[in-house]
Amino acid sequence: MSLNLDRASMAFTFKGGMLPMTVMELASADPERIREQLSGKLSQSPAFFQNTPVVLAVEKLDEPHLALERICAACRAHKLLPVAVRGGPDPVKQSAWALGLGWFPPSDGVRARPLESVAPAEGEAEEAEKAISVASGGRIYRGTVRSGQQVTAPEGDLVVIGSVNAGAEVLAAGSVHVYGALRGRALAGIHGDTHSGIFCRELRGELLSVAGNYKRLEDIDPQLLGSAVQVALRDAQLEIMPL
Amino acid sequence: MAKIIVVTSGKGGVGKTTSAAAIATGLALRGNKTAVIDFDVGLRNLDLIMGCERRVVYDLVNVIQGEAGLNQALIRDKRVDNLHILPASQTRDKDALTLEGVEKVLKTLSSDFDYILCDSPAGIERGAQLAMYFADEAIVVTNPEVSSVRDSDRILGLLASKTRRAEQGEDPIKEHLLITRYNAARVDGGDMLNLDDIREILAIDLIGLIPESEAVLRASNQGVPVTHDEKSDAGQAYVDTVSRLLGEEVPLRFHEFQKKGLLSRMFGGGRR
Repeated sequence: MSLNLDRASMAFTFKGGMLPMTVMELASADPERIREQLSGKLSQSPAFFQNTPVVLAVEKLDEPHLALERICAACRAHKLLPVAVRGGPDPVKQSAWALGLGWFPPSDGVRARPLESVAPAEGEAEEAEKAISVASGGRIYRGTVRSGQQVTAPEGDLVVIGSVNAGAEVLAAGSVHVYGALRGRALAGIHGDTHSGIFCRELRGELLSVAGNYKRLEDIDPQLLGSAVQVALRDAQLEIMPL
Repeated sequence: MAKIIVVTSGKGGVGKTTSAAAIATGLALRGNKTAVIDFDVGLRNLDLIMGCERRVVYDLVNVIQGEAGLNQALIRDKRVDNLHILPASQTRDKDALTLEGVEKVLKTLSSDFDYILCDSPAGIERGAQLAMYFADEAIVVTNPEVSSVRDSDRILGLLASKTRRAEQGEDPIKEHLLITRYNAARVDGGDMLNLDDIREILAIDLIGLIPESEAVLRASNQGVPVTHDEKSDAGQAYVDTVSRLLGEEVPLRFHEFQKKGLLSRMFGGGRR
């Protein structure tokens, strides 16, 4: 047998990939309640339910057995495609496999953020509107943000007219703009706004984060260091582009 | 009313006490009645640098706790008439200082002196915060290396928030950058941060640059502030610093690396 590994002769290649995935975090194990809530949501944002793949996260449930088949049926009836289950005890894992679903270990909760902008829940819709109406409540900070200092704009954009030094931290619900060198940490979209960004005149930041997705200084292309850049979230990855 | 100036840095060993002693001496030599207070309770050093360690009877903590009068504790400098030293206690710790006590001492000195220099302990804790709390101006001593610059940055943040002027919304403390132990040759070789980098990061006015010099160690061990060593580069740099503190414009010296010429190498005309 020859080990011919020419590309043309291979039927497939394995590739690691990071795909954006909707996680459906279950707070109830009752298939009827899930079905009810799904019907309500379907009328609110029908565009969301187009055979969207979802991962059922069950780590918040404290039940040894789940009516997984009925829950999946409720999802499929509303054009959601359960592709995997996350968390849960061993019987849940076994029944997931029996249903042809994948199983993931429980999440450590670092990156989970609510997708309210896509599918607002009843009652939460009002809150989301409120957040937008006060999102203009930005903040302008003049001067150098020094090591050990933290400047926050909890409701909008943060503009720093000066530099953010190493060991300092700037946070904003919206975007972070630094008209100077960014040497410390900058966190934009701290409440989960994935459309926020970071803008600075000179990139040297220890940490950049948009809506919980972060990059450390070590992960940043050295060619970009020292230049004026914007940082945005694209496909759950931080993208740093020269300005 | 005296002008209260704190000499601080965050990091230890950068030259706070040396600078406080040298600048206080320089101010007094220019005819200003000057007091220099050691706030480093428990790690008393200023008396050694000023060469008055054998004449310490009472200290700052004695005064604050009412065990001695201010005039009993103040030591008159042997070399300069209008210079006085208030030493720290070596046997107590920094908790012996109280905000009210410090305020009272500074208030009393204020009516009598032109300048009061507070030599801050290292760190950002109580001792350092008490030393800076009542200051009108601050001299932030920084070495050309990254950890010192970061600690100075931290101290500048505290000066802007944890001081009387900041808390009462008065004019902010006037901040000055003093770079010490600057070795132009090593900066040139890339071993040390250069002047412009430090200034850019800390973003405050430069009041002086003291070159790394053998004269400083010699002065410390002899108990004679380096300002008295007029021939040394460090002594001259402190004289320049004092002039700038008094509002004069003096060009910066000792910041450029000069390769030694053949003649100076042959005849040993190097830095002292």
